[in-house]
Amino acid sequence: MNYLFHILIMIGIYSIFIQSLNIVMGYTGLVSLSQAAFYGIGAYATALLMINFNVNFFIAVLISIVITVLLSFIVSIPSLRLKGDYFILATLGFQIIIFSILYNWVELTRGPYGIPGIPSPQIANFNFDNPSKFLVLSTIFALLVNYILYLITSIKFGLILKSIREDEIVVSTFGKNTTRFKIISFSIGAGIAAIAGSLYATYVTYIDPTSFTLNESILLVTILSIGGSGNIIGPIVGTLILILLPEFLRFLEIPDSIAANIRIMLYALVLILILIYKPQGIAGEYEPE
Amino acid sequence: MFIQLLVNGICSASLLAIAAIGFALVYNTTNYFHFAYGAIYTSAAYLIYWFYLILKLPLIISLLLTFLIVSLLSLSIEQIVYKPLEARYNSSVAILISSFGVYLFIINFIAMIAGNEVKILSPGIEKTFQFGSVIVTRIQLIGVFAFIIVLISYVLFLRTKSGLLLRGYSINPNLTIALGYNPHKIRYFIFIVSSILAAIASIISAFDVGFDPNIGSNVVLLSAVALIIGGVKIYESPILGAFIIGILQSIIIWQISARWVDTFVFLLLILFLLFKPTGILGKKLRVEEVR
Repeated sequence: MNYLFHILIMIGIYSIFIQSLNIVMGYTGLVSLSQAAFYGIGAYATALLMINFNVNFFIAVLISIVITVLLSFIVSIPSLRLKGDYFILATLGFQIIIFSILYNWVELTRGPYGIPGIPSPQIANFNFDNPSKFLVLSTIFALLVNYILYLITSIKFGLILKSIREDEIVVSTFGKNTTRFKIISFSIGAGIAAIAGSLYATYVTYIDPTSFTLNESILLVTILSIGGSGNIIGPIVGTLILILLPEFLRFLEIPDSIAANIRIMLYALVLILILIYKPQGIAGEYEPE
Repeated sequence: MFIQLLVNGICSASLLAIAAIGFALVYNTTNYFHFAYGAIYTSAAYLIYWFYLILKLPLIISLLLTFLIVSLLSLSIEQIVYKPLEARYNSSVAILISSFGVYLFIINFIAMIAGNEVKILSPGIEKTFQFGSVIVTRIQLIGVFAFIIVLISYVLFLRTKSGLLLRGYSINPNLTIALGYNPHKIRYFIFIVSSILAAIASIISAFDVGFDPNIGSNVVLLSAVALIIGGVKIYESPILGAFIIGILQSIIIWQISARWVDTFVFLLLILFLLFKPTGILGKKLRVEEVR
């Protein structure tokens, strides 16, 4: 039973994480390679606040979101003035810098040793300390984030983002400051990634920098492209594929030593086929131009 | 002490410059952020390991076989993945995403067969030469020598008619096609040459410090940084960029610590994007020119 709970919790956390890229890539048309960095900042900020300052989980999440959003401006404000590839490069640079700080600033993050013993979230005297209780928390968070994202993309703001994705020059001729909208969208993405990171840290209770590498960011772009982006359902399909495929491979009895490699190779293969034959992904709306 | 570190920096910059020239050839000519270039780089190290150390073929035959296979690999990536996407999409975003897919596929294939651990090509202690207080190894000298040969042939090539055609194609592909040149030939050419450059850098570095499946991603990223720092669309610029990175690396190692090298290199990238996005040698482009 705990195994099923674990899978459902991971689906909840990853659906939040993937939506963080969806708002940036699917709605605004910006490929970001720093989502794993924001996820990591969220995880580390929450873990360190809870351990060092005894901050309650829910307050720690809020502070982590603020920190992550502020850091996201370092990437977005300089690079979103520039076109396409430069933005991708800036996010990539940021991802590597953050990973290297998590890995090397041993005094703060314990570097490669990671942070063990992260406490469980707590409300009043209720502790979300086992999978069945944590599932309630992660599900509430996942539903809430998906719902909020649905709301903000249904109003005019969401329409403007989609129009920027389709043709930025047209939107700017209507007097909209497209750069500002892109910066806001990117910071929302960063904040959502921080929520996913906070949940992840308190669920697994141990984090180290290897969960927040460039490869993780690249994998996220891959999965989102497979599931499809630019609506709410595509990323959920992506999440299910990401979490359920390894379980499926386990039933096929592929040896563990190569299962991880086979899994990534399958994602990569599906990604390329999707890009060639079905650009909007399995259930998405956004087609790269 | 600093002179020694500087010399080391210049030696590694030579290898980076070779790899960066290849990356820039593809980027400048086609606008593809060819991330799979990193996978080609990694493959070359494993191929030479397999031919030279496992099958014990003579070095020259191992090298030729490696060059042949990476060229075929590079061409198949172009034909199977990039070409259909080029026909389908206007921008290069889809190609970038597909390139990640290709990279992940090849790297995981290699890791599945050969494992994740670091491998070493030349056991034993490398022969060293001493110049005053500076010590260099034989393989470092080979790296610098290879770079000088690549540099000379590259600069000469850029001044031939084919080099001119390549630069013309990078600025205005449609005009080049209208003038009757075959764009496919240009693309075959750059994908083959870039893969061989990646292989040269990869093999020398594998003999020097060993390799694992992830070496390629670092090189492709540093190549991209070298290109941006030097200036996009200028074929000589990655060489300048690579040497700036090499010198910066030795200063960081000297003054701070080897651990923080990546942080500062990518900080430099962000500073360039912020204050001089056109790079050192770059010209200002109009919005429509930036594809």
